Amino acid sequence: MNVLRAEWTKARTLQSTPWLLIGLVALTVTVGALAAASLHVRDCADPADCGEDFAKLSLAGLWLSQAVAVVIGVLAFGNEYGTRMITLTVAAVPGRLRVLAGKATVVLVLVLAAAVPGVVAAYALARTIFTRNGFPLPDAVTAASVRAAGGTVLYLALVALLALGVSALVRDTSGALSAVLALLYATPALALVVSDPTWQERLQRFSPLTAGMAIQATTNLDALPIGPWRGLGVLAAWTAAALVAGAVSFLARDA
Amino acid sequence: MSFRHLLRAEWTKLRSVSRWLLALAAAAVFTVAFSVLASSAGTTNFEGGVAVSPDGKPVADDFHFVHKPLAGDGSLVARVAEQDNTHADAMAGIMVKNGATRGASYASVAVTPGGDVRMMADFRDVDARTGTAPRWLRLDRSGTRVTTYDSADGSTWREIGRAELAGLPATVEVGMFVTSPGELIVQRSAGSTGVGERPTSGRATFADVRVDGAAGPAWASDDLVRPGFGKDPASVSGSTREAAGRFTVTGSGSIGLNEPPDDTVQIGLFGTLAGLLVLVPLGVVYITSEYRRGLIRTTFAAAPARAPVLAAKAVVLGGLTFAIGLAAALVAFFVTQPILRDHGFKPPMFPEQSLTEPRVLRAVIGAAVFLTLLTLLGLGAGAVMRRGAPAIAAVITLTLVPTFVGSVVPVAAARTLMLITPAGGFAMQRAKPATEWLVEPWSMIGPWAGFAVLGTYAAVALVAGGWLMRRRDA
Repeated sequence: MNVLRAEWTKARTLQSTPWLLIGLVALTVTVGALAAASLHVRDCADPADCGEDFAKLSLAGLWLSQAVAVVIGVLAFGNEYGTRMITLTVAAVPGRLRVLAGKATVVLVLVLAAAVPGVVAAYALARTIFTRNGFPLPDAVTAASVRAAGGTVLYLALVALLALGVSALVRDTSGALSAVLALLYATPALALVVSDPTWQERLQRFSPLTAGMAIQATTNLDALPIGPWRGLGVLAAWTAAALVAGAVSFLARDA
Repeated sequence: MSFRHLLRAEWTKLRSVSRWLLALAAAAVFTVAFSVLASSAGTTNFEGGVAVSPDGKPVADDFHFVHKPLAGDGSLVARVAEQDNTHADAMAGIMVKNGATRGASYASVAVTPGGDVRMMADFRDVDARTGTAPRWLRLDRSGTRVTTYDSADGSTWREIGRAELAGLPATVEVGMFVTSPGELIVQRSAGSTGVGERPTSGRATFADVRVDGAAGPAWASDDLVRPGFGKDPASVSGSTREAAGRFTVTGSGSIGLNEPPDDTVQIGLFGTLAGLLVLVPLGVVYITSEYRRGLIRTTFAAAPARAPVLAAKAVVLGGLTFAIGLAAALVAFFVTQPILRDHGFKPPMFPEQSLTEPRVLRAVIGAAVFLTLLTLLGLGAGAVMRRGAPAIAAVITLTLVPTFVGSVVPVAAARTLMLITPAGGFAMQRAKPATEWLVEPWSMIGPWAGFAVLGTYAAVALVAGGWLMRRRDA
């Protein structure tokens, strides 16, 4: 319990924490609203059956807000190594796994505290925009839309934990951040230029970003390179691997 | 401190951090390795149905041809009485061609609904004047020289242009032709992209057709189309109907150089994507680490004007990045071109690229400039934010996220996105002209537009960073 309190105090007193949380919410909501506003019913061949994935569009802010979640995760260890605070931390709590668990819990709480209201607000705001633009909408709460919205929250939590694991391994804020952003964003960009369809599909199925973001789909699931839950499972596997590697490195090396 | 001393100080800082030198080396290695990866996973379906011009270039040569042989010198006159407006670049006119086969040497003069009387020879424009149907057209053939004219009344002739057709044999085919290019359909909705072409069928009526010279007795009629053309249910084949000396001809397709939009130079340079993921953070920490360690106060004590410090950093890191980026781009170019050829990107559709071509050289240098400007953008963002993590996250997301978001939003939105985010800089690595045919959104803007966008970002970030450095406490 004391470990949790210590980690919570550290996170709470960082100047950047409130800004990151506000940024996460703001990006989720504004990008979702912009994506919704960019679509007008006159662009559809048949307004009654537009075929758009409204839930996914409403939640498009995830493209950017995940970068904020990554920063939150990376800073948990990066800041301590940057200021050498880590030596104090492990002197006070020699059980290092407990430190890691405490940090993971705090990161999880922070990200969820911003992601849940952000996702709900983005979804609600985008729906009013769609309605104003003349789209007939499916029901607000369906099994698929709950999966998309809840999955988006889970996605943000998972990438933050992934970043936490990598930062325990790399022990440097900018290095860890670059590594995680590269892992997330480089593969979909590469998939644009790679023209071989089998390679394209491989990239999309195993990249944490494209696989994980499959959870946002509510229509046309057959066209996805990977199913929603299996996709999120791929991201979870990356996160688990990063956390294990980070834990091993944290336990084995001098602080 | 003079600027020269500042440069030396910044160079010393850079070279004494071994992890930064490692990052520079890694950026070069990653750039080459990722380029090889992108090239090895390439494939092309542009093989079937390509016609090849006399000088070996891939061409479109699809039209309906009503023709008869002509031995030796002679002249062909026809009046285009009517032309349907099916496409601004649809053509109705007369032609001399080395046989009715696709890719054969030819010269033509035709009217377009867009208002041109256009002469072409061997798949290139020779010259054009304004004018529309109804219009008289004339084509004189003398040896290998072809001269074309037009006229409003059939008696006073205006020369359009002349061309030499090397190797034109004595007996050629002369006659009328009609063609109309397909309409490009690009559908990018949120979530999917589809690019297609809807064929259009041109129609024109010719009258007062006269051939002077040793011409054959009867007109033959041929549809020159790419193989597999008829399999497309929307495709339309051409036809000829003759009544009382008037020929009503329909035809579909286009004539001209037809390079596929896929750019082998760009694919072979795409590893800069991996390089930038190392260089942007390097640019950021080159300034933010000084703030974190308090070194910045010593730096400013030595150079109280402050802004020149940032300028010196930009020169040192920018120069180094450019040199390393250029070396990596050159290696990537030479390594990937043979790989791409093995994966089907081969002549004639994809001619071998040579560094002596200005556009290829521009793309290779463009890759180095792309990396340099992004590094400088990182440096500027670091100077503005003074914290590494948000600066790195901001520059990398702004550069990469628009590329895949742009690939799934409508064309206009994607183009705007490329013109307002650093992602447009990817366009600098293209050797071919801008196109809407590709999924990668930066191919919609030209290389210079990409340079302008990214250059503006880097310049604004550096200027803002320098200004804030002077205003704020260190």
